[in-house]
Amino acid sequence: MRLTIDRDRCEGYGLCADSAPELMHLDDDGELVLDHEDVPAPSSAAAETAVRVCPVAALRAD
Amino acid sequence: MVRQRVVVVGASIAGVTVVDELRRRGFTGELTLVGDDPHPAYNRPALSKGFLSGTDTLASITLPALSCEVDQRIGATAIGLDTDRREVLLADGDRLPFGRLVIATGARARTMTDLGAADPGAEESTFRDVADARDLRDRLVDRPRVVIVGAGILGMELASTCAAAGSAVTVVDRQPPLRAQLGRFLSDLVVEAATAHGVTLAHHPAGVRLRGSGTPAAELADGRRFDGDLVISAVGCRPDVEWLAGSGLVTDGDLRIDDRCRVAAGILAAGDVAAFPGDHGHRRTPWWTSALDQARTAAATLLDDDAGAPLVPSPYFWTEQFGITLRVCGPLPVRGRPTVVAGSPAEGLLLTWPDGRDGATAAAVNRRIPISRLRALTRATPSDPPMEARR
Repeated sequence: MRLTIDRDRCEGYGLCADSAPELMHLDDDGELVLDHEDVPAPSSAAAETAVRVCPVAALRAD
Repeated sequence: MVRQRVVVVGASIAGVTVVDELRRRGFTGELTLVGDDPHPAYNRPALSKGFLSGTDTLASITLPALSCEVDQRIGATAIGLDTDRREVLLADGDRLPFGRLVIATGARARTMTDLGAADPGAEESTFRDVADARDLRDRLVDRPRVVIVGAGILGMELASTCAAAGSAVTVVDRQPPLRAQLGRFLSDLVVEAATAHGVTLAHHPAGVRLRGSGTPAAELADGRRFDGDLVISAVGCRPDVEWLAGSGLVTDGDLRIDDRCRVAAGILAAGDVAAFPGDHGHRRTPWWTSALDQARTAAATLLDDDAGAPLVPSPYFWTEQFGITLRVCGPLPVRGRPTVVAGSPAEGLLLTWPDGRDGATAAAVNRRIPISRLRALTRATPSDPPMEARR
């Protein structure tokens, strides 16, 4: 599974980072940073949650 | 930890999040999710934005399926609740016994007919789900004249997209666009932009009525009549609580929850269906982030045997229309003139409206700002004398 962010859409809301802190975080400016674009298998459920909660459908898992 | 069977009714974002959260928090008991929508859950706010305009597809807004262990009854409709036997009744005659129940059945579009403001036979469409969005998208190909009743957030987003698709659009309501929700300053910005995009706006404080003869039409109380090829009612939503009739859980049409999302012993609710307690009594807060907050709170309450932390809402919503991108954190409606924290109308604005206590509502207009920083403005107490926004 691979995560991608649509930067034009992402608002830095941070619901995704709350859901999958092992995969992503908000930096000091509040911008989302993906720490693991390739999702380790044990974190795939967390990645799906992160994608699901995004208010603006900016995060995708393929 | 609770081990009783949990049944979640409603499989949109609130219900799906309750299930996901229960499993992620280690719930190992039986778990059933009941949903009557044949489509998998999708990002509903995108319907009136990217999906209607064509930049999004159903695939791009469909939420990832649950990969946890859950008995999913998709396409099943709950038609009743027996609180004595603790069973959910399904339309196919099945009965689902539960130890704990989470009600997340959401809401449906309210119509002018519901409000008693439509003549018999009046034609009206509504916009709530993916089927509605597809219907409207298909109809826009022929550039119909569109009359929208309701100048709230949904109505104005629809107006924007319909106008961009080449339709002649009229929006009618009791008051100017978004005035009730966002106050005069932001309302004026939207009016200016909508007018520049060719949209006709009309309002009358005594309201609107749908007419039943001839072409579909909406008429203001002063007699001004607006004919369209279609009339769309965007006049809010009503909670889907009919199936709870006779359960004793519904008060004056509201399914009231407390700040831990409890309705009654072992029964919780989350999302658009639920009325949350606040300063002005119980009110539904039918927004995406509110549904998520309540779903997570309901899951925590359920697992921690009612000892979880209460939910302190931090309202957030956004809209895109007529070239204006607006993000708002904090309580609504706002009143009075905002303070300009940064920017100008040309380069984008950061605004706050102090709430008179120790907080504020903060808005970003055409200005990119991470939500965490926008939210921080809702807690800030300005040290400088406020500068009033003037336009």
